[in-house]
Amino acid sequence: MLSDTIQKTLASLNLEKVAAGDYGKTGYHVEAAAQPDQMPAVAQTMLDLGCFLESLTALDLKESFTLVYHFANFDQLCRTVVHASLAKTAQAPTISHIYAGADWYEREVYDLFGIRFAGHPDLKRILLPEDADFHPLLKDFGATQENA
Amino acid sequence: MLERGLEEKTFWLNLGPQHPSTHGVLRVLLEMDGEYIVKAEPVIGYGHRGHEHMAENRNYHQFLPNMGRVDYLHALAFNQCYCMAVEKLMGIKVPERAEYIRVITAEMNRLTSHFLWVGAYLMDLGAFTPFLYCFDDRENILDLLDRLTGSRLTYCFYRFGGVPVDLDDEFIAGTRAFIQRLRRRWVDYDNLVTKNIIFIKRTKDVGVITKEQCVQYGLTGPMVRGSGIPYDIRKSEPYSAYPEFDFEIPIGENGDVFDRYIVRMREMEQSLRIIEQALNRLPEGPIMAEKVPKRLKPAAGEVYQAVETARGEFGCYIVSQGDIKPYRIKLRVPSFANLSILPEASVDNLVADVVAILGSMDVVVPEIDR
Repeated sequence: MLSDTIQKTLASLNLEKVAAGDYGKTGYHVEAAAQPDQMPAVAQTMLDLGCFLESLTALDLKESFTLVYHFANFDQLCRTVVHASLAKTAQAPTISHIYAGADWYEREVYDLFGIRFAGHPDLKRILLPEDADFHPLLKDFGATQENA
Repeated sequence: MLERGLEEKTFWLNLGPQHPSTHGVLRVLLEMDGEYIVKAEPVIGYGHRGHEHMAENRNYHQFLPNMGRVDYLHALAFNQCYCMAVEKLMGIKVPERAEYIRVITAEMNRLTSHFLWVGAYLMDLGAFTPFLYCFDDRENILDLLDRLTGSRLTYCFYRFGGVPVDLDDEFIAGTRAFIQRLRRRWVDYDNLVTKNIIFIKRTKDVGVITKEQCVQYGLTGPMVRGSGIPYDIRKSEPYSAYPEFDFEIPIGENGDVFDRYIVRMREMEQSLRIIEQALNRLPEGPIMAEKVPKRLKPAAGEVYQAVETARGEFGCYIVSQGDIKPYRIKLRVPSFANLSILPEASVDNLVADVVAILGSMDVVVPEIDR
């Protein structure tokens, strides 16, 4: 089973958490938590196992950010989620040199949350205009209060 | 061939944002050496409406109509994915008949999306006639869906727990007639397009995408199936009533533009098979789950639900913190990843081929921009 292999391989990276997911409830086969600095190693491991980066996004948890990486596989049904908690002022290392598709995803996270990815080749806005001076998915972004 | 180190001789060309072949407001900044592409950089975001931000300011019901406006060509798949994600979060069980109705309508919507793609794509390549054939066939489906759902494009038909309207005899008879009619049309499409020497010359061995690139970029949908990877969420991560139907996943061999065309054409035949089986075996029973709360307040947690849209995997990632509004909704749209390979796929190609490659990706730009 691919999910067992993934769990075993990820466990060897000393992550905060590697566990089987409750697929029926969440849609995940493997759930993991890592430090942002460990993400390049995690991404390389997932690529070596033949998985692709399904999505990369972030959550603004007010005190900190959480980066959320989803990986899936073309041959076997196995979705892995990796959560990486990131301090508000910290930078995360890029994984765009491992997954080419991460280039745009990281630009999107930077655009919407203002999170910087160290080592990204061209970190600039992607959805919003170049001269925008806000990051709309931050919880303290204006409209959130007005419509509440 | 292209000689490097001649940067001073290159020039910049804007493809779009108002170019007919970009199907929406997509701009591709091309660095050209004569007719050849040195560098291509897609510039997106012209249609950014902030759907993900809207999601955080609405309750679960209020966000439902947004889903038909993300990808307006396969709106029902987006409806379905969001409904399924919320149903998973709430633990709502959808009745079987409702699942069948969802499959029938979502597959019909997939057909309309593919028809629009075939027609518009061939128009990009300079063929006008197929466009008229496609829109003729597409109109049939739109009429049927219009009668059932009340809209032609930006559907908002599914509800949490089922569907609001049952199929009637007229819809079923109309759909059966349409299936018969369409099966007779494939011959026309084959003669008109698939065997057309100009079309073959324009698309064979152009824009080849390898399996490795599919993994690297996280491509989905006809993009990976054209490259020979049989990845279709309806089969690989079965949802709704799909496991009950017998259908195949067409794949290509070379991963070129022609293969992506063939995959979509074969896929339409499979959609007809699915619709026909679903109509034949349509179970009796309710179309809405009982006791769906009017105010949805899911417990804290997160859920990821994926469906196969006409363009590939649409993933709906919902994070709930136990509020009546979602804490975060991430829309993992297929065209975003699919378009991100364009810079690599178009280098060293002729500018006319870039139109063929870009078109073969079947991007819906507002879906990328969200």
